[in-house]
Amino acid sequence: MIDDPFPTRSAGRKRGGGRKARRGRTAVRAARLRGSVDEYAAWIERRIPCFEVLDAEALELIEHNADTVLEEIGIEFREFPRALRLFRDAGADVDGERVRIPRGMCRSIVQATAPREFTQHARNPKRTTIIGGDRTVLVPAYGPPFVHDLDRGRRYATIEDFRNFIKLTYMSSGLHHSGGTVCEPVDVPVNKRHFDMVYSHIKYTDKPFMGSVTHPERAADTVAMAMLLFGEDFVPRKTVLTSLINVNSPLTFDATMLGAATVYAENNQATIISPFLLAGAMSPVTVAGTLTQILAEALAGMAYIQLVRPGAPVVFGSFSAAVSMQSGAPTFGTPEPSQVLFGVGQLARRLGVPFRSGGGLCAAKIPDAQAAYEAANTLQTAALAGVNFMLHTAGWLEGGLSMGYEKFILDADQANMIAVLLQGIDLSENGQALDALREVGPGSHFLGCAHTRENFETAFYRSTVADNNSFEQWQQDGSLDAARRANGIWKQMLRDYEPPPLDPAIDESLVEFIDRRKSEFEDRDY
Amino acid sequence: MATEPLMLDEDEIVLSELADDELVEQMHEDLYDGLKEEIVEGTSILLGRDWSAEKVLNEALVEGMRIVGIDFRDGILFVPEVLLAANAMKGGMEILRPLLSETGVKPIGKMVIGTVKGDIHDIGKNLVAMMLEGAGFEVFDIGINNSVEDYFEALEKHQPDILGMSALLTTTMPYMKVVIDEMVSQGIRDDYIVMVGGAPLNEEFGRAVGADAYCRDAAQAADTAPRLVRVHRAGGTVGA
Repeated sequence: MIDDPFPTRSAGRKRGGGRKARRGRTAVRAARLRGSVDEYAAWIERRIPCFEVLDAEALELIEHNADTVLEEIGIEFREFPRALRLFRDAGADVDGERVRIPRGMCRSIVQATAPREFTQHARNPKRTTIIGGDRTVLVPAYGPPFVHDLDRGRRYATIEDFRNFIKLTYMSSGLHHSGGTVCEPVDVPVNKRHFDMVYSHIKYTDKPFMGSVTHPERAADTVAMAMLLFGEDFVPRKTVLTSLINVNSPLTFDATMLGAATVYAENNQATIISPFLLAGAMSPVTVAGTLTQILAEALAGMAYIQLVRPGAPVVFGSFSAAVSMQSGAPTFGTPEPSQVLFGVGQLARRLGVPFRSGGGLCAAKIPDAQAAYEAANTLQTAALAGVNFMLHTAGWLEGGLSMGYEKFILDADQANMIAVLLQGIDLSENGQALDALREVGPGSHFLGCAHTRENFETAFYRSTVADNNSFEQWQQDGSLDAARRANGIWKQMLRDYEPPPLDPAIDESLVEFIDRRKSEFEDRDY
Repeated sequence: MATEPLMLDEDEIVLSELADDELVEQMHEDLYDGLKEEIVEGTSILLGRDWSAEKVLNEALVEGMRIVGIDFRDGILFVPEVLLAANAMKGGMEILRPLLSETGVKPIGKMVIGTVKGDIHDIGKNLVAMMLEGAGFEVFDIGINNSVEDYFEALEKHQPDILGMSALLTTTMPYMKVVIDEMVSQGIRDDYIVMVGGAPLNEEFGRAVGADAYCRDAAQAADTAPRLVRVHRAGGTVGA
């Protein structure tokens, strides 16, 4: 008689609730895989090297060329005299709104005071995260005016969709940050929607979040609400907001973005300075030319932030895709932007600041094969490139025009995989598994040995969405494709959602603030 | 390649030596290749041969751009090539336009175009302007960040057939409705065709703000604009 490889009562094994607890369809399985919200990690600790594509000589060349751009061509800071004044005082040549910056000046300003990494506090200390260094923080998609799901198709996003994506993000273990404009609630007046958006990030989640950048006043409202949440003396000392400041590429900063960035910097809140490049339209068609422009723009923006408030946290951002030269339409998940992404990661690390890029980018309209492979390409690239703040990790469809419910679920699954991939290889005694090799020996199998029994639950990544069953089993389960399965999962998650508790006194003060501010001016759609 | 050296002199085409039909055909080729100087020269030659401006416009330029449009749609021509072609067309139009207005021929169309208030993104708008120039339109590009007053001033000054508004941001696109509502309240809405575009827009939005057309891209705008102008001039309603 051989040893029973599947002992029914193993020492130390707890009852798992039996068959009842295990049964059910994808959504129930997904719920089990999600685990408890309380146990979610606040970031990924990277334990593998970053993938690098440029040698030191190449990096020096790009840095030299970026300085040439800053010195010779310059950057425009439009309708924002304060930036012109600060740069002039720092030694730049200001001609109208064009700022030409001496070689090396931006780099030394940034390196003198910008932190290599910073802590962004969340209202739940367990979710307080660190941005920079060997960490990766995954964040949902940002900015889509439309939402898409299998039942209702594509439509303008509403505040209800906005809340839904905050709830889904809250319940997704792979997403460490609540993001910002997870979709644009176009049913709320333009000049007041930031109140509802920021409030939703406070109320429906306890993860860290991003602030409004569409007007300096709206940035100030965001800071005021953060003060009500965290305390008036806490906020200027600590960072509780990380907000997205896009460059109006090529080589232009506009007053809206600079205004918002200034408000955040003055309050010691973090900004991500992001050159927004669709190569071919907003930057040269080559990788090296695009890298040069990204570095020049990011350096100028980050230097401005340091001039406003030395030491204010700032992130080197990069959003880079290419346009189809045949139609002008943006493309995603293609190789050249991946090369850019790897390169920018290296440039950011050499500069010594946190790096934002990546995400589940795609041009697909629906959660189809194109959506999956384009998103997988960018997500893997971003993970390997050493991105610290990965905006657009989940939900992105259609070049960012649409936030997909099913796509969100598919990407959130990828996010969890990234966490495992970046953990590196366990070389502990348990990881080496010599016990298992000794116990099983030649022939036989590992399915029942002690080492497997101790490790099987966490040994392999288990997808929340993928179907690995036999054809017949899959048929019995309704022959659902991945998008249909994801459809069931997000609905179940919204049904299961429970809000994290919020101090009623704080909640009341926030609602009071919002009501008062909203009554101070008329609804306006611009 | 083991061929004889190219005999460049033999390849050189002297436009003025071509017969009318050969010249028109060559101008179609030159438009396709985006050769502005050659188009300007060809236009002048035909006028010198007593062609009416209207005939030059239709047979040489518009027909040439029609072919460009087909090959752009079919993915044979790339965006930079189409922009060059449009620029060449513009060169010919600059010569023809004063002649056309002298002879009382209605121009293909005039358009005032600009990005709405609060929005300074203009790459898409610039593409539309260039494509419409390529379609023979006279385009008055009033740039970025335009208020109701800016639009009205340009309408008053240029008396266009079409008002085009663009936005890239969801937070600025509702301003289109502000402009159109003001046109309505001043009783001038029906004097113009209103076309809107930009990444965050769709058909439904175009209708909701009261525009006559939403165009998803520059090629569609260049296709839609002349059609709407014809309908509008015939006294028809252009609303989608």
